[in-house]
Amino acid sequence: MKKNCALLLATIVLNQGMRAGDPLRPNHRCCEEQPAGAYSANSIYQLDARWTNDDGASFALGQLRGRPVVLVMFYASCGYACPLLVADMARLREALPANVRPQVQFALVSFDVVRDTAASLKAYRDSRRLDAQWTLLHGDNNGVKELAALLGVNFRQEPDGSFSHSNVITILNAEGEIAHQRLGLQGPLDDSMKALVTAAARPGGAGASAQESSPAIQ
Amino acid sequence: MPPLRPWLSHDKRRCAAWLGALFVVSGLSALPPAPPADMVLIPAGNHTPLLRAQKDPAQVPVAAFYLDVQPVTNADFLQFVLTHPRWQRSQVSQLFADQSYLEHWAGNTDLGPHAPPGAPVVRISWFAARAYARWQGKRLPTIAEWELAASAGYDGPEGKNDATLHRDLYQWLARPTPAILPDAAMARLNFYGVRGLLGLVWEWVDDFNSAMVTGESRADTGLDRSLYCGSGSVGAKDTGDYAAFMRLALRSSLRASNTTSSLGFRCARDLSP
Repeated sequence: MKKNCALLLATIVLNQGMRAGDPLRPNHRCCEEQPAGAYSANSIYQLDARWTNDDGASFALGQLRGRPVVLVMFYASCGYACPLLVADMARLREALPANVRPQVQFALVSFDVVRDTAASLKAYRDSRRLDAQWTLLHGDNNGVKELAALLGVNFRQEPDGSFSHSNVITILNAEGEIAHQRLGLQGPLDDSMKALVTAAARPGGAGASAQESSPAIQ
Repeated sequence: MPPLRPWLSHDKRRCAAWLGALFVVSGLSALPPAPPADMVLIPAGNHTPLLRAQKDPAQVPVAAFYLDVQPVTNADFLQFVLTHPRWQRSQVSQLFADQSYLEHWAGNTDLGPHAPPGAPVVRISWFAARAYARWQGKRLPTIAEWELAASAGYDGPEGKNDATLHRDLYQWLARPTPAILPDAAMARLNFYGVRGLLGLVWEWVDDFNSAMVTGESRADTGLDRSLYCGSGSVGAKDTGDYAAFMRLALRSSLRASNTTSSLGFRCARDLSP
């Protein structure tokens, strides 16, 4: 296992921090009484941020519930990594088995709350020839920050208006739980595809266990 | 006319306000309104980032802002969870706070012996800290704002020249976190009139996840264009400030749902809400 310098330092500093569980209060965060229709405990659809799609319509991420999702945070004017990420999403789509492909949704969520308006995203959709299987969203600062935090995506806006950001492709199962993440640009897409096939085979979503999911940056 | 400084006494402040009013009338300058209760004005300044790309400026300008005098206490946070049950220990979603969230409290709305009312609240996630701040009509400070406020010494705006501050800070760094934290109000005021930024608990910042570092030391030594897109993905240039590196390491290693026994928060606000 790779030693993680920053984490090690932080662990020394915090010395009692980040305990995995609490033997005194087992299952204190149990969700037996979760009302029907509520999102599962790990569903990122619990995030209550509102988004707008490239038609200008209000959109909640929970509208993606029910089918697996390939989710990437990007910005339309990005000249380097984002086009590669979108190309990888398209490759992933082509590589999917024919019976799985129509079930999968592809979502792009912009970091750029100012320039990536509905019209810009619509132009992006047209220029990349993204069909109805793709959802393009922009939101407000809080929504972007909180979604990025949930996905483990680091980002910051540079003085020139561009964004520095982690390159992450996230696979969500039908419940909106993170089933897999590919970090970086060079990794193969095999694991992402497997996660999608698994997620598509289990439309309930809850079956995708924590063991299958991989944490983001750390 | 010097800028109105928050550490002036009330009398002096009133006097300065009158002077300021004269300037406003004559159209020369406008004074910010008096700080909200329990906050102080941090005057505009420059933050020197620890990590920066070659083309990044050495200093980042920070606009004046208001900052809580002291970190949010257990008593403060109790008021929040009483009115916002979804942030109580047994109710919170595991997506937004991990298993040790508020675990030193005796119960959902019971502080108990390990969480004195006046001590800073810890075992708080970034999501919980943000939710509290929003409830207060505030927000979390940015890294630049927090570091600017913390760069002051006890007696002057340049903390790096303050030997007493350094002695206190490094003594604190060398000690393990006490099981029961001291009262936040006991921490010594710094030059701006802020308590406990250094030497009490670590604190969440809004953009804790903005550093383009992997936490993996080999990957951080150079530009990693695979993991990160953009000019921000470079290594550190200045390794002099050990405590600042500790903060950077901590922030870089955190996920937004993490909670720890020595990590709390305080709130900030823009001058014009």
